[in-house]
Amino acid sequence: MSVNHNNIWEVAEAYLSGSLPQDQIIEIKDCLAADTVFANEFYEITNLIRSVEGSGKQKRFRGMLRDIHAQQQTAAAPKKAKLIIFTPQFWKTASVAAGVAILTSTITIWSINASIKRHESQYNTISREVGAIKKVQAQQQAEQANLKEMVNKASKHTPPPSDVKYSGTGFALTNDGYFVTADHVIHHDGKGDFDSVYIQTHDGQYYKANLIFADNTKDIAILKVEKKSFRFGKGELPYTFTAAKAGLGSRIFTLGYPKDEEVYDEGYISSRNGFNGNNMQYTLELPVGHGQSGSPMLDEKGNVLGILAAVGSQDEANTYAIGTKALMELLNDQLPDQKTIRLPKANKLSRLSRAEQIEKMENYTFSVKVYKK
Amino acid sequence: MNNEQQLLAALAAGERTATERIYQQHYHIINGWLINNGGSSADAADLFQEAIVVLYGKAQEEDFRLTCSIGTYLFAVSKHLWYKKLQQQNRGPAILQSNIGGDEDEIEIAYEDDINVHTEREAHYEQLDSALDQIGEPCRSLLKAYYHHDKSMQEIAADFGYTNPDNAKTQKYKCLARLRKLFYTMQAK
Repeated sequence: MSVNHNNIWEVAEAYLSGSLPQDQIIEIKDCLAADTVFANEFYEITNLIRSVEGSGKQKRFRGMLRDIHAQQQTAAAPKKAKLIIFTPQFWKTASVAAGVAILTSTITIWSINASIKRHESQYNTISREVGAIKKVQAQQQAEQANLKEMVNKASKHTPPPSDVKYSGTGFALTNDGYFVTADHVIHHDGKGDFDSVYIQTHDGQYYKANLIFADNTKDIAILKVEKKSFRFGKGELPYTFTAAKAGLGSRIFTLGYPKDEEVYDEGYISSRNGFNGNNMQYTLELPVGHGQSGSPMLDEKGNVLGILAAVGSQDEANTYAIGTKALMELLNDQLPDQKTIRLPKANKLSRLSRAEQIEKMENYTFSVKVYKK
Repeated sequence: MNNEQQLLAALAAGERTATERIYQQHYHIINGWLINNGGSSADAADLFQEAIVVLYGKAQEEDFRLTCSIGTYLFAVSKHLWYKKLQQQNRGPAILQSNIGGDEDEIEIAYEDDINVHTEREAHYEQLDSALDQIGEPCRSLLKAYYHHDKSMQEIAADFGYTNPDNAKTQKYKCLARLRKLFYTMQAK
């Protein structure tokens, strides 16, 4: 019998996919009829393969549905096309613009070549090393004073054990306390030993947070606010998440904490892939400062497209964001047992003006402070 | 009609454009109905996605055919699922109030059957997933990469550090054998 125990899986797989040669199919059918023990085993195996395949396909299908939903929720009403005709008086400006474009593209080519040589040093993560910035110390003291005052007010929130070492930005995944930030914000030097992490919300309150899961290759960390009754805001999150890659040139905006005050920035997607062609990332034309790592990157309708992660070196001036797809993969597969995070499904931002969108988001984006001796 | 059949075939294959079209054409109807029946937009999203998964599952069957339009089917299944959910929460009508008597009754039963098949399949997949979660590494990640994320053996070999795709494949079969053991012992309990 050619169907021995070692390759029964391979044979079953080929049998199911229809790639088994006719003579082997006949052989198997003979075996199935003659040997009931073998038949039982073979059926069990083919059933299992069918189930695993079916389950996987269905998972991908469900993922696609969620994505389609998020996309269609925010799909804009078709815009009327505007036709702009260049009348002669504009020709001059147009040719100047074209000249500039040519000039810029030569520069780009040059800097890409240069960047190949230098590689990793150009990729600077944008969390903020607080100790390194002198100016911040004053703020820190104010912060600590603020903290003490807070502790007096509400003794529930114990003060952090040591000084703020790094800070970044985080944003909510669920209203009951799950949030995401960039992994390097909390594991800054790759050693991963922080004393504690607190978030400081938009109204100045501190809350302790615990690490749920972190993936340093994806550069994503999931945390949860410790306090059980904690809610970010009154209602469900106003934004939704979409894993489909947004197109080149899509307008995007972000809200983060490069300082102790919230800062808004806007820009566009300048490349569909990230640093060194990483396809889990985007390259953005977006001015960001240190401390904005972990900020949400949203499209104009309030769909989260990614998480800000890094800037290129100064002469490159690109910003990189981790795509939502990587986050979804992590949430679907990598979370520890018993933990499921259900992302918001209803987008409340799509019809609002930018100022209103920002106002709605304020409760759900916050500063992440990492304490370490 | 021919057009709907093509759409269904594409849906069964998991093609995005077809699925988008079905979504676009029918979602608002269910959303509107649900909001009038005590649900929210978030419920509608859940419900409609579940109904499409029911249709997707049914479309995988070899002798698959639909006796009504896609829209009618999705709407009926969504309604069933919603009433079922309300029933479980003990705050809804116990029986469907609409469509009593005649041919429609038979159609209703057909929907019920489809939903029951779907529920059973979901339970089966859930068991499989929990077996997969208990299997340990690297099997868990390897099987998920292959079956859930549709990665090729080449990619997996590179990601998991196997010297070639054949070695990764051998490992995959070993993992499947472990999964089988776990899964059937779990079922026996």
